[in-house]
Amino acid sequence: MFRYESLEDCPLDEDDDAFQALGEEDEDIDQFNDDTFGAGAVDDDWQEAHERLAELEEKPVVAVEQTGNGSADEMDLLVGHEENLAERLSKMVIDNELEDPAVMRALHTRPVVQPGGLNSSIWDGSAVLRRIRGPLLAQEMPTVSVLEYALPQRPPQGPEEERDLSERALPRRSTSPVIGSPPVRAVPIGTPPKQMAVPSFNQQILCPKPVHVRAPMQQRYPAPYGERMSPNQLCGVANSSLLGHPFPPSVTPVLSPIQRAQLLGGAQPGRMSPSQFARLSGFVSSPLATMNPKLLQGRVGQMIPPAPGFRAFFGAPPPATPPPAQQHPSCPGPHLQNLRPQSQMFRPDTTHLHPQHRRLLHQRQQQNRNQHRSINGATGDRGGHRSNHQEQLRKDPYANLMLQREKDWVSKIQMMQLQSTDPYLDDFYYQNYFEKLEKLSAAEEVHGDGPKKERTKLITPQVAKLEHAYKPVQFEGSLGKLTVSSVNNPRKMIDAVVTSRSEDDETKEKQVRDKRRKTLVTIEKTYSLLLDVEDYERRYLLSLEEERQALMEERKQKICGMYDNLRGKLPGQERPSDDHFMQIMCIRKGKRMVARILPFLSKEQAADILLATARNLPFLIKKDAQDEVLPCLLSPFSLLLYHLPSMTVTSLLQQLMNLPQSAAAPAPANPHLTAVLQNKFGLSLLYLVLSRGEELQSSDPSTELMQDNQWTELMFMATRELLRIPQATLAKPVSTPANLASLFSRYVDRQKLNLLETKLQLVQGIR
Amino acid sequence: MNYMPGTASLIEDIDKKHLVLLRDGRTLIGYLRSIDQFANLVLHQTVERIHVGKKYGDIPRGIFVVRGENVVLLGEIDLEKESDTPLQQVSIEEILEEQRVEQQTKQEAERLKVQALKERGLSIPRADTLDEY
Repeated sequence: MFRYESLEDCPLDEDDDAFQALGEEDEDIDQFNDDTFGAGAVDDDWQEAHERLAELEEKPVVAVEQTGNGSADEMDLLVGHEENLAERLSKMVIDNELEDPAVMRALHTRPVVQPGGLNSSIWDGSAVLRRIRGPLLAQEMPTVSVLEYALPQRPPQGPEEERDLSERALPRRSTSPVIGSPPVRAVPIGTPPKQMAVPSFNQQILCPKPVHVRAPMQQRYPAPYGERMSPNQLCGVANSSLLGHPFPPSVTPVLSPIQRAQLLGGAQPGRMSPSQFARLSGFVSSPLATMNPKLLQGRVGQMIPPAPGFRAFFGAPPPATPPPAQQHPSCPGPHLQNLRPQSQMFRPDTTHLHPQHRRLLHQRQQQNRNQHRSINGATGDRGGHRSNHQEQLRKDPYANLMLQREKDWVSKIQMMQLQSTDPYLDDFYYQNYFEKLEKLSAAEEVHGDGPKKERTKLITPQVAKLEHAYKPVQFEGSLGKLTVSSVNNPRKMIDAVVTSRSEDDETKEKQVRDKRRKTLVTIEKTYSLLLDVEDYERRYLLSLEEERQALMEERKQKICGMYDNLRGKLPGQERPSDDHFMQIMCIRKGKRMVARILPFLSKEQAADILLATARNLPFLIKKDAQDEVLPCLLSPFSLLLYHLPSMTVTSLLQQLMNLPQSAAAPAPANPHLTAVLQNKFGLSLLYLVLSRGEELQSSDPSTELMQDNQWTELMFMATRELLRIPQATLAKPVSTPANLASLFSRYVDRQKLNLLETKLQLVQGIR
Repeated sequence: MNYMPGTASLIEDIDKKHLVLLRDGRTLIGYLRSIDQFANLVLHQTVERIHVGKKYGDIPRGIFVVRGENVVLLGEIDLEKESDTPLQQVSIEEILEEQRVEQQTKQEAERLKVQALKERGLSIPRADTLDEY
């Protein structure tokens, strides 16, 4: 606003003259700036008023007291100015400061009771609080009794105060306003809360603003006189928490650290009007609501205890009014002072929080409030523990520097991060884990009796995706656009163009490497398709009727895509080479992927895969030596087998034994089959095939399987090989199907059957 | 005050004494006063504790504001068990001296190792000079 020639010109000491000088200089140059220099500027008055008042402060205090009437004008002025200020400063978020020196000074110098002043009570209270907080922060002073402060003694920080005073803009409120002065609409700064603050409640309902000296009361809604808490109550509240001073037992309420924080930090001017309070009653439990009015009414008569009267208050047992201890339970309600200035919002900006989260936040805070309340009244262990905790906190003068509101703000950010458009996508493992847990507990509950333990679950609500069209910053009336690069709008830094190298230049090694890389890319692409396909079921359930058809189509397409990827996209009639597929199967991830894809493929497609695998099994076995992942294919294969027709089974067996369709006399040793037998996967697969064959045979004697002799021949060969192979080299299969014995019995004689049985451990119980 | 079950939050740790390990190896002990969403920390009455062997020394540091990304881990200190430690506290000068000696021996050992490897024609690249592939 003010243009300073240089840093030195900044009027640190708020020298009014300097300001004027500057203003005059600049008026020649800048005549358009009405707000600063012209008619719109009101700051000068502000400055002058401040100067006047600052001078006032330096005069002896007694003089001020005596000019009760005279100060009335100033009070009016003050009120007026403060209101202006308030508007302007209402948005500022400043650190919590109760140290309004003007207030404090006025308070402690006033020795007598001021009748009729709602201000008086306020100032009394704030002085008390200020004493509490000020010294503790400024210097590590030993805790001093509030009572001492309340008395009109000069505290040690007199000079400090004066220094502070000169820096503060707000004028000091010397005395209670004269009867004729306009009632202060809201509680001045530094006023301690009427009652104990409830932390949770506070932020929910009240968006507590940290107290700032300069932010006056304007914004608070009109608070009726009757709702003020007497300073005695305030003292009681404040003292117990902070000073640890020995009070009569009836006076020591147990303050939670948060409540204390509220007291200090949230001690905002502002009282709830009854209407607002009624509105809030939804959040406040009923005892609160009922108690509060009682308290208030009870207190009305006692509004203005004198400063010295504090001692009296504490010395004597509390009068007919409800004991201070009781006031704490009711504290939460009335302390809802800090409603937002202009709006009637009762909660901080939780609007973009998912309602579940918001509810959770409220609930927890209410819970805490209830907890505190009940603890206050409790005398048992819990109470004891609490007070011990309290004591610890009492000794920590720096506690609660972080306001409850700030904690909630951080919490809110964390909660917002939990909102996602697609929880299954963003937080898959968490969702699955809790689904499992819930299923478990549901299952348990079926057996169990009694109420289910509520397992608190972190809610990750699904939020509708908001489309944000990012528009880069534009200035009106400017030519061209700003070249601004940001996260949403990154600038292209490098022109990286992908060029494919010519095949000739590459060496063999490079080619091999490239091929492998291409395979890896294929696997990744296919995997994405697979994940999508697997997700379709869930999407299907969530979708509407009309969309389902489209979803199914998409799904089919993706499945075809996957298959093409697996087998290579060659459009030839036959798939001349298994090469592509083999490449994929050489890679561990590829094998696992195939195992996952198989259930989605059609029978023919899957059979094709299976045959290809069987055909090249020794090669695969060799490649799999390190990974040993092939067995993962067994389960999908076995599932598939039981749907295959006998023709396929036969050819499968053929493939396994590596015989051409029209078998010539087999070589005495079949290296293919040997390799198969020596591998866990191979052997298991063979068993599966055999078992399936047997099943077909036994279920339907006239099955196709026996139509031609192929199966029989194959069986002979298989059994021959099985007998030939030394037991030591035989692999250990994953499982041995039960019907193998009966299968072999068809093809071999008794003796050989026995041999086979022992060798392959076909009979149960031998193992 | 568990705002969100199943999550980790520092809110409940506020105003408690913590031990914070930083990425550069420093150990700070202080009261956690304030946090934010990046886990930036404000530590109060902080003490930097240097450990060498069974001894440790504290250097009082005052108020620390730690950027969240530099925190490796932090944990609450149980005030009752805090003094129950087999470690021996020594003066700052002593611990710094010990630290210096320890550094020296480490460097010496490292140097010898590198020397020995060099003689054999091997070289272990240092982590910071390793190119990323």
